[in-house]
Amino acid sequence: MRSSAYTLAAGYIGLAIVALVLFAAPLWYAWQVTINDNRAEVLQQDATRLGTVFERSGVMGLADFIRERVGLQIVEERMLLLADPQLKPVAGNLPAWPADIPAAAGTYTIKTSLNGKRADLVLVRSNLPGGYSLLVGRDVSRFQPLARRFWYGLAAAVGILSLAGAVGAVLIRRAILSRIQTIRQTALAIVQGDLSRRLPAQRSGDELDTLAGTINRMLDQIEQLFRGVRDVSDSIAHDLRTPLAELRSRLEELALTRPGPERTFEEIDAAVADVDHVMRIFNALLRLAEMDTGLRRSGFVETDVSTTLAEAVEFYLPAAELKEVQLLYRDHGPLSITGDPLLLAQAIGNLIDNALKYAGERGTVIVESERLADGSALLSVSDSGPGIPDAEKPRAAERFYRGEASRVSPGVGLGLSLVQAVAKLHGGQLELLDNRPGLRAQMRIPAMAVTVSMSGLSSEAPARVSAVAVY
Amino acid sequence: MKLLLVEDNERVSQFVLKGLAEAGHTADHADNGRDGLFLAASEPYDVIVMDRMLPGGIDGLGIIAALRKAGKQTPILILSALTDVDERIRGLKSGGDDYLTKPFAFGELLARVDALTRRSQGSTGVTALEVGDLRIDLLSRRATRAARTITLQPREFKLLEYLMRHADQVVTRTMLLENVWDYHFDPQTNVVDVHVSKLRQKIDTAAERPLLRTVRNAGYMLTAQE
Repeated sequence: MRSSAYTLAAGYIGLAIVALVLFAAPLWYAWQVTINDNRAEVLQQDATRLGTVFERSGVMGLADFIRERVGLQIVEERMLLLADPQLKPVAGNLPAWPADIPAAAGTYTIKTSLNGKRADLVLVRSNLPGGYSLLVGRDVSRFQPLARRFWYGLAAAVGILSLAGAVGAVLIRRAILSRIQTIRQTALAIVQGDLSRRLPAQRSGDELDTLAGTINRMLDQIEQLFRGVRDVSDSIAHDLRTPLAELRSRLEELALTRPGPERTFEEIDAAVADVDHVMRIFNALLRLAEMDTGLRRSGFVETDVSTTLAEAVEFYLPAAELKEVQLLYRDHGPLSITGDPLLLAQAIGNLIDNALKYAGERGTVIVESERLADGSALLSVSDSGPGIPDAEKPRAAERFYRGEASRVSPGVGLGLSLVQAVAKLHGGQLELLDNRPGLRAQMRIPAMAVTVSMSGLSSEAPARVSAVAVY
Repeated sequence: MKLLLVEDNERVSQFVLKGLAEAGHTADHADNGRDGLFLAASEPYDVIVMDRMLPGGIDGLGIIAALRKAGKQTPILILSALTDVDERIRGLKSGGDDYLTKPFAFGELLARVDALTRRSQGSTGVTALEVGDLRIDLLSRRATRAARTITLQPREFKLLEYLMRHADQVVTRTMLLENVWDYHFDPQTNVVDVHVSKLRQKIDTAAERPLLRTVRNAGYMLTAQE
């Protein structure tokens, strides 16, 4: 496996070295050039001054002057030498005229030895009138250690940098590799079918943790969809099989007994009704599946839910009158939310339909909408019927759940699941409460249906199901 | 009335063609998109019944878009196995006039085809509708039968208006739900029937000849005919 950590570390070390060199090179250059130039200038000035002495007081005068200067010097800081036209020393502290100095005036650097010691001399030669020559110079060998130290320092810096970089790369690689290894093993386990596995998160909140968190949420959603597909197939097996079996036996009996035309047509009508019933269940399941996957949020608009409720109440009013049930809408003013008016209408319709079914003769059904303190909307339908026993409440919104009391009434048992799915799609919740007596079903919907996180949708939903695969 | 059916399923096609013939309509049939587009573009039809998914390189929505682009305004009823509300909206947006999901009752199909032809004959600019001695004024929103004034709730008026616009035609419960209440879902109970019977009590009193009839296994029809 090629390691990106190594490549990256090598790249950064290289970059750091380049930066170091870019920093050191001008420094070195400045030192060399400026100091040398300066030194040459000082020497040149000295030579000029000595030349003036020569002009004023002649060879002997200059020779005396030089001797005096040399005598005053504590260390042999300044090299001075006055030579006659045959380059024989007249005065000065250099033992002999150096052999490799060119005849022309100028600044020269030579290596020689003085009193048995190595010396690097910078010399300025000036040619005086009468063939006399003058050398003014300085021993720069004592600056050598400084230059050496500079180079050593630079080399050490490069060395430390490379070493630290290499060690760092190894450590980082090892740390990342071990975490990637666990992620890989988990992923492999999931590939092998264990969908309950999750990536370990270290709560440090770094990039890998964020990634692991996102992947875990994705896995939650996948697991939910996966379970949804299974639930839908279970539901289909359970609830579609029964009416299909009835239909089959009805048709088979018809084929076997061959009754008269009157009875045959009756049976055919009944068979068509059976098929319609199956289709209803099927459509309701598909709609639920669609909503559970959260795909239906495309129809969301800013809507006044009190209008939706008022229209739904108006729609069911004649049916309530027929059953002598009092259906009331307590309107607390406009209630604007972001949602799908069609789905909300269907959900409220289902709740009203249920309430009318169970309210009993001369009962009351109250529909209410109000804005809560936190800005969310509370839509409720309360009836005066027998209610749902507390023990059954958690299961009431489950798919195909039908209370003991409702076995005789028609319906496909998907009503409350649909209401719950609609509430969840809007980021809300369906709550079943005791109306003493009766049932109070309420949907709590946030004003802004902020995109519900998928994990939020999946959590603890008793009736979650869904199924992309059904399409 | 002359119709075109574009549908690739043989059983469904035969069932629909037979039913249309019994209802007194003549119908051409194309079993793929290419032939369907050719017929729809070259022959004058009163209504086209179009399946969405078709073999032959071009699907139902493609044909509709092509026809509308060419300026053909023939009313089109889309048949589809896609029940999704969003799919329905897509179908209507592409230029279809009505949308019916499979499987469907033939009565539903026939009622919708009839409704579409009525629409194509045009009813804009009408300010009053009459069926027998029942009359509604669309501007003042008043309904009368002979000399008797009928008091109607706004929704009841809308229901009656729809029935009168489709007088002498079968109107199904789903059509009423969609057009009067704008509900595109199954409300599970027979609420529409209750609304219609309430309306019937108001327009057909015991002494009068009944105008609003129930058509078995299909829906309702408002008619002054015997």
